[in-house]
Amino acid sequence: MSILPKKNQLGFYEIRLESIGGLGANLAGKMLAEAGVLGLGLNGSNFSSYGSEKKGSPVKSFIRFCDPEVEIRDHSPIEQPHVIGVFHEALYKMVDVVSGLDSDGVVLVNSTRSFDDVKHDLQLEYGTLAIVDALGIANEERTKVNTAMLGALYRILDFLDPDAMREVIRKTFEKKYPHLVEPNIRTFDRGYYEVEFKTFDAPTDAKAREFTRPQPRLGYNTQELGGVISAQANSIQKDLSGSRIGFLPAFNQEKCINCAQCDTVCPDLCFVWEEGEDKRGRKQMFLQGIDYQYCKGCLKCVDACPVAALTDMTEELGYADENQVKHNFPLVTGGVR
Amino acid sequence: MATLEENVTTQLSKEQVTTFESGNEMAAYAAAQINYHLMGYFPITPSTEVAQFLDMMKSKGQHDIELVAADGEHGSAGICFGAATTGARVFNATSANGFLYMIEQLPVQSGLRFPMVMNLVTRAVSGPLDIRGDHSDLYYGLNTGWVILTARTPQAVYDMNIMALRLSEHEDVRLPVVVAYDGFFTSHQKRRVDYFKDREDVQSFVGEAPSGFASSIDKDNPKTIGAHMNGDDLINNNYQQSEALYKAYDVYKEIAKDFATFSGRSYGTLDLYKMEDADVALFLLNSAAESAKDVVDRLRERGIKAGIISPNIIRPFPAEDIRQALKNVKALLVGERADSYGAHGANLAHEVKSALQEDKENDTIVLNRVFGMGGKDFYADDAEQFFNMALDAMEKGYAETPFDYYGHTPGEPEKALEPVIEPQNRETYNSGLIKVSENEETGKLDVRVPPLRKLTTKPKRFAPGHGACPGCGIFPGLELFFKGIEGDAVILFQTGCAYVVTSAFPYSSHKQNMIHNLFQNGPATLSGAVEAFFEMKDRGEVDIDDDFTFVMITGDGGMDIGMGSAIGTALRNHKMIILEYDNEGYMNTGSQMSYSTPLGHMTSTTNVSEERPGKPFHHKDTAQIMASTNIPYVFTGTEAYPQDLIKKAAKAQWYAQNEGLVYGKLLITCPLNWKSNDRDGENIMKAAVESCFFPLYEVERGETAITYDPEAKNKRIELSEWLQYMGKTKHLLKESNADLLQEFADEVESRWKTLKVKHETPLI
Repeated sequence: MSILPKKNQLGFYEIRLESIGGLGANLAGKMLAEAGVLGLGLNGSNFSSYGSEKKGSPVKSFIRFCDPEVEIRDHSPIEQPHVIGVFHEALYKMVDVVSGLDSDGVVLVNSTRSFDDVKHDLQLEYGTLAIVDALGIANEERTKVNTAMLGALYRILDFLDPDAMREVIRKTFEKKYPHLVEPNIRTFDRGYYEVEFKTFDAPTDAKAREFTRPQPRLGYNTQELGGVISAQANSIQKDLSGSRIGFLPAFNQEKCINCAQCDTVCPDLCFVWEEGEDKRGRKQMFLQGIDYQYCKGCLKCVDACPVAALTDMTEELGYADENQVKHNFPLVTGGVR
Repeated sequence: MATLEENVTTQLSKEQVTTFESGNEMAAYAAAQINYHLMGYFPITPSTEVAQFLDMMKSKGQHDIELVAADGEHGSAGICFGAATTGARVFNATSANGFLYMIEQLPVQSGLRFPMVMNLVTRAVSGPLDIRGDHSDLYYGLNTGWVILTARTPQAVYDMNIMALRLSEHEDVRLPVVVAYDGFFTSHQKRRVDYFKDREDVQSFVGEAPSGFASSIDKDNPKTIGAHMNGDDLINNNYQQSEALYKAYDVYKEIAKDFATFSGRSYGTLDLYKMEDADVALFLLNSAAESAKDVVDRLRERGIKAGIISPNIIRPFPAEDIRQALKNVKALLVGERADSYGAHGANLAHEVKSALQEDKENDTIVLNRVFGMGGKDFYADDAEQFFNMALDAMEKGYAETPFDYYGHTPGEPEKALEPVIEPQNRETYNSGLIKVSENEETGKLDVRVPPLRKLTTKPKRFAPGHGACPGCGIFPGLELFFKGIEGDAVILFQTGCAYVVTSAFPYSSHKQNMIHNLFQNGPATLSGAVEAFFEMKDRGEVDIDDDFTFVMITGDGGMDIGMGSAIGTALRNHKMIILEYDNEGYMNTGSQMSYSTPLGHMTSTTNVSEERPGKPFHHKDTAQIMASTNIPYVFTGTEAYPQDLIKKAAKAQWYAQNEGLVYGKLLITCPLNWKSNDRDGENIMKAAVESCFFPLYEVERGETAITYDPEAKNKRIELSEWLQYMGKTKHLLKESNADLLQEFADEVESRWKTLKVKHETPLI
């Protein structure tokens, strides 16, 4: 008897984790896969999306399970998973995280918001939505988001044995960092017990959510010779706000002395300046604010600021949009924006 | 992996354990069990993990392999060759341009007949850089005289690594062996793998190294290794090598047979999947063949007799076995992840066709498709398309299009890239705020720069939207430097994080002209651009008011592999600037040790354990090396001292436009790999300067001047105050590492004192 609840045509039960680099989704994927293969004797494979992406960029981790005697020959990324784990809520702005979800699939989202809000943002029509405040749990326990997500995933993947994972966590930490054993097990357990579910019933004729294989923007007729890019600085069209993991700098112009220390240390070139007149009528540069579209939330500027015009802030939904000051780029008239 | 025939007994099989690992982990594991004498390596994605895993295992005392971190792949191949001449067992792993960079050495290794084993974790070769897997690197290896085994799965990677050494050392072969497996698809996908519990079993299968062959350290029988020849002799050497490579065919079969008994897993020269009665077949190398097998099953359910041929060895090419396998096949599609441009088909299609030519009765129609370049995924429906093409040829009785690409897309004209911002040029960057003049009294330059606030009028050289990690120190460093540079710049980036995050097609974060070249060759490349510019200007072919400032940017260890090019360029004294952002490691490829990693610091190839406390030797003093080439200006700088850096940039520009080459080194923070807080970057830089680890100074026309002296300002701090910021150095603060910390502190102190003497004494 197979312990796997569902299987696709090739006999696989498939899980896709959507995250940004640095949140530990790859490690979570590896631990899940090992739990199935080495712990339960299933066959399986595990891999990540590969590229030159750095911390804060979108990444995926894939896990395939099948019965022990089934051979895994497929190497391609998982396009129609049974379960999706979204480690970072803001990802939906950059990635179609629920692409290809099975009509009776489960999507787990790390969020504090309501089922309906999340469903709306993900453009989810039906299927089961699971929500856990993994970031909140991790902050309270001073642990990592991925452990809380693992706990919630174990609730969904009920063929896995949560006691075995508790043992893995214990073994991982007890030698070098014994004081981290209990907080991590608590984090796992809280993920396991605090995750909440809501099922949006599918109509009887529902099919799996369509998935689209991303196509390159350019082709052999439109790519310049040798891969040259003539559209210099077109990276300004990118939105990197999804790279932030909960914090951003808040700017108080009244306190600002325009010393430019923040501008000097900012890796993401977010500070916007404008010429104006000082009290004596001399031309001077004044800091207008932050273009949050590019801010990754490193907070170097807060430490550099000598007068506390910049302060730490836990990002609230909508704050960045309401308070951002856009760069005044010398855009080409008629250029793409 | 082919399942074992029923009649092969598994009684002789040694005890095996199941694990769940990737191809790279299994290559490293096999090497550790064999316990090679030496691995000379240089990190390159996706093969890097092999050395990383071996370093980690060594830190746990699991093998004794001497791991030599070379200064580039050419060097790594030299280290391996030298070690092999002693009769030592030698191992390496590389990919893509790393393989090409060492390729000069590969025929030396095979032509002089010294065995070794190298894992080639296949990846696309640059042109446009692409880190993912295809076979364009492997195909450059076809004519090197090495035996080439191909491994489709992590299991095969492990197994072939064990067979490879025995094959390489066999007295009838005596040739180096490549084990090639697919970058990422096989190297990074974790699968269920069985391995031998006892390394002694592995070692007994490989056997003792055969004796009686030339050794460079045989004191009783001295040898001349590497005499030069003329054609009369060389043709005989080549003939011997050719014969040996063909003999490797039979030797391989023999070893594979033994291995089947030993392990329960058999690897014929060809992996044949349902070929017995196949009408149509695909010939595919490595992982794609595995993926396509699922499609064969599906087609057979529909009554289509489909099959897959995938070689386990391609040098020597299994021509006879291919002829046999294709006897009754009506149509074959050879799918290849590399092209032989202009040859009307890629390499293996030609070799298959030429094998069939020998069989006068064969009338298999052969089609050829180039697919999956640069790691483009190969899905089941792609394999199905391939079968459809073969079926179409079978029905028609001929191939309508014998050779083509597959998976290429034309693109839609309305999606073509359009300019986004106005060109940023001389006018944009001439702020008029930076004043440089020659002081005739001192023979030095005087520089005046305004406050930082004023300089915010000057636009940034790079556009936001780049993909660097949060808190990355590269851009604050580079932008501060460029605050001091007026007018137009031509900027070359060597491969590294700064390049990768600003140039991911089809996006660019560059505003001015940018050139990329691979990271051993940036200085030479830019020097070519400089000289061509001046030559064309002299001929009146370029109409320009102010000269460009040519700046080459490197980091992530680029001053290791590119040192030769940098010194050559410095000695030629071209009018350009070499700017290094030093992040103390090969951070772009996952934090491997570079020569500028300081003593004891942890990286992914200098793991920390009780026996092995991080990097084993002191950091490279690149600024002093470059100063000794007697170029007009050398400087160090960091974001924590902005005015100091901007002034030095202004001087750098003056010297690069008037006298010749400038070298500048910026220390920058890499929070990800230094394991520091994103927000601490500036504080860490400040502490690096105040602890005198990274003194701020310049060498102007041969005279050294310290530009910020923490002692004079009463700001000097202990080295530990800098080290406490970073996870990579936490262990150095432990009591048990006090001696190591002292050794590091002594080195810092000694370099600082030397610098002070130079500062005080203009003549040295």
